[in-house]
Amino acid sequence: MADAEPTAMRPVQPPAGLQLLWIWLGLGVQSFGGGTATLFLIRRAVVERHGWLSEAEFTRDWALCQAAPGINLICLTVLVGYRVRGALGIVVAMIGLLLPSVTITALLTGMYASIRDLDMVQSALRGVVPATAGLGLLLSVQMLRPPLTDSCREGRASLILTIALVIATALLVGVARMPVIVALLGAGMIAAIAGWRRARLRPAEPQP
Amino acid sequence: MIEPFSFFWLLLRASLLSTGGTGNLPLLHQELTAQGLADDRQFAEALAIGQISPGPSGLWVISLGFLIDGPRGALLALVAIALPPLLVLVVAQLYRRAGDHPAMQGFVRGMMLAVVGAFVPVLINLLWSNGPSAAAFLIALVSVGIGMTRRVPIIVHLGLAALAGIMLM
Repeated sequence: MADAEPTAMRPVQPPAGLQLLWIWLGLGVQSFGGGTATLFLIRRAVVERHGWLSEAEFTRDWALCQAAPGINLICLTVLVGYRVRGALGIVVAMIGLLLPSVTITALLTGMYASIRDLDMVQSALRGVVPATAGLGLLLSVQMLRPPLTDSCREGRASLILTIALVIATALLVGVARMPVIVALLGAGMIAAIAGWRRARLRPAEPQP
Repeated sequence: MIEPFSFFWLLLRASLLSTGGTGNLPLLHQELTAQGLADDRQFAEALAIGQISPGPSGLWVISLGFLIDGPRGALLALVAIALPPLLVLVVAQLYRRAGDHPAMQGFVRGMMLAVVGAFVPVLINLLWSNGPSAAAFLIALVSVGIGMTRRVPIIVHLGLAALAGIMLM
């Protein structure tokens, strides 16, 4: 985990801006498979095909993206773009990745908006909406898994706090109509204090 | 009538305070439905289009922006989701100095947990956007099952749901 500082000019010979744009556009065009497929493609291009980053660097960067605000894949694009070619690298990488997918998303929405009031579309949607709720449930379980595993390892007090924070947020936001921002920051603060106290009680714990 | 600056600020705030593609959903849902600018249906539509279209699924916000405010809304949403990820450069710096600090890790974890908690009311709203119904519940249940197999492409998945909607609802 040494040297997580973003250092530009990583590769032996930095590729030209236009060539970079071309590579990232290629990734953007191929990003039809959704997030996981896109991550797979970026890794293959960045690590295997062009050797801009080592496998370990790529993995560490991806971990950093989990903690950064916003869409993880865009964070990764920013980091990789910066390491390859500095500020220019960021701009080129973002344009390349986002231009195709954003255009298609907007076009799809526009097309949909023109037919959304048809009777058939309406009743189709009554099926799609609960299906997205099901997908959302799966997504929540996936998001919950890493912190749940961590707190299981840390013992019962941590596990109880983890579960309590989820339930309390659900109730406070859903029933008491607490602003989501307040809930997010409040839960962050509580967990920060808990994490800090846990570390002080067990200072000899080895770093992961 | 949408006021573009406050709409943009809301989109930006939601993106800044979340990590991942859908972490911004609870905040946007709460504020936009409270102000009467969007309803559950638009959220479901945007989420579905975000799943079908290429790129990160977080681009669902572009679709939401379009549904609420047309092309201008999509553009505002694009800027709002493109800016916060730049902070990953700061995170990378911070991580070098304090990333292993337990309070920092705790804070990130607490936010993640709260996002999951705040998801619950949104999911209930989506599930019963047309009032409680057994058919909607069944579709959601089957959707979970299909999603768990990880074998069915999302476009087929949602296509089946649309078909079920036409036949059952």
